[in-house]
Amino acid sequence: MKHLLNYLDLAIIVGYLALIVAVGIRLSGKVKDAKDFFLAGRSLAWWVIGLSIIGTNIGADSYVGAAGNAYNVGIAQANFEWIGAIPAMIAASLIFIPLYWKAGVYSIPEYFGLRYNQAVRVLAASIASIVAVFAIAVALWAIAITLETYLGWPTWLGILVTGFVVGMYSIAGGLAAVAFTDTLQVCIMFVGGLVIVGLGISESGGFMGFAETLTRENPNHLQAYLPADHESFPWPAVILGLGIVLSPAYWCAGQAILQRTLGARSQWDASAGMMFAALGKSFVPLLVVFPGLLALVMHAQIEYPDMALPWVIKNVLPPGISGLMFIALIAALQSTIDSGINSTSLMITRDIRHVVMKNADPDQDLKVGRYLTLGILLLAMCVAPVISQMGGIYQFIQTILSLFQGPMLALLLMGAFTRSTTPAAGLITLLTGVALSSIVLAMGTNMLYVAFVSFIYSLFALAIISRFTAPNERDLSNLTYFPWGAK
Amino acid sequence: MDPESLPVAWANYISIIGFVFLLIVVWLIPRRVILADAKSNSRWRDIRIWATGLILMQITLYLIFT
Repeated sequence: MKHLLNYLDLAIIVGYLALIVAVGIRLSGKVKDAKDFFLAGRSLAWWVIGLSIIGTNIGADSYVGAAGNAYNVGIAQANFEWIGAIPAMIAASLIFIPLYWKAGVYSIPEYFGLRYNQAVRVLAASIASIVAVFAIAVALWAIAITLETYLGWPTWLGILVTGFVVGMYSIAGGLAAVAFTDTLQVCIMFVGGLVIVGLGISESGGFMGFAETLTRENPNHLQAYLPADHESFPWPAVILGLGIVLSPAYWCAGQAILQRTLGARSQWDASAGMMFAALGKSFVPLLVVFPGLLALVMHAQIEYPDMALPWVIKNVLPPGISGLMFIALIAALQSTIDSGINSTSLMITRDIRHVVMKNADPDQDLKVGRYLTLGILLLAMCVAPVISQMGGIYQFIQTILSLFQGPMLALLLMGAFTRSTTPAAGLITLLTGVALSSIVLAMGTNMLYVAFVSFIYSLFALAIISRFTAPNERDLSNLTYFPWGAK
Repeated sequence: MDPESLPVAWANYISIIGFVFLLIVVWLIPRRVILADAKSNSRWRDIRIWATGLILMQITLYLIFT
């Protein structure tokens, strides 16, 4: 794979890195307080929010892993971008974003704090922060491996350079810089992806030739779902676990995703931004699934499925465009890192520090937030090389996160759509729901079914425990969603 | 019936029914809530219409890839 990129590619890469750092430094002048840093001064337009959400969502696994999975299972991989995202994004846009705006919160844990109690807020923020640090570390390591593969850089240099570049614009410009660089990165991803689609179809004898070869040689690769007895992704588990629980939990309660909607210039921009992202998300399979199918149709000689995308880049794209696609890969990872450090910094600064340290000065939030952004980045940079030696730790962390998703979604739904759910019920359900998830998982149940079972348990637990515990004494009119009665 | 023998096509039908249900929910949300602080009341700002286009596109995809 070495010498894959030529000097034209390298010039494009250097130009891109210089551009995003310049954007970050330029926007740093507008950061005067914590609201500017964490919520971009509530100034983001809907199209910036939409593209930024897509950038945050597309990560290393989406790009390289999804192409590999598509090579293996076909169009069913796109299902994760469709039923596994679109319904939840529409619900987030029309129901939950207006709810968070009405509540006037900086973060989703803050909403849980108001609707339930501060213990739920700190617990939710702590879980999300720990998982985020590992996710950032994995993304850093993936960039380092990509740079090593394509440019021959040692991994420590790749981590240092990436940390420096992302740190420069994230610490200086805050959410505004993160959102604008994400926007640029997504545009590059789509341009690179569309070029692959165009050239790939051309190389395989036009669209009809491509479709005919795929249909003739791999007819099962054109089914949206995999059989019910599939080992990893049986369709009932995909619908129940992914469609009903994990996807809504991610899109309607994920801080890194929703933070840019809370930084919108209006509630309408926030909702429209999420809806615009959903529209873009429908076309993401062109970027992440098509290369896998193309490698299949072109009879790529690859050792394992994850080599599908690098094979397409090497064999389909001309010089210059290879550099653009390389940037798209790096951009996908950078946008995951920058969003992660910004949202984690916000949760630690406000949702943990303000609750644990009662006398914390809100005027210091900007300073603390910037130091934390740097600290989280440095911590992730230290963890990144360790992750490579620990193999399955990322999978382990993802599993841990999934244990919380069912109970967290139940808390969100019952909190938003009922006034009777009590703070004590919220805390008890969160703790017992996670315990139940752990037990069911230990029994060897598919992760997707675990999420569904814990979700159903949590709905019942919230309803029953609330009958015997004291209600929230707060005025809940701004913390619940009853639009039909609103004036 | 053995859950592992359920036909794959059912997944597509369930998805399509889910999207139709979502479409009904979308149009039950009052317009004034959607346009709460929008700059104008122009028709394109009603994002229920965006959602409708998106849902119809998804239904088409699940009909094609059955």
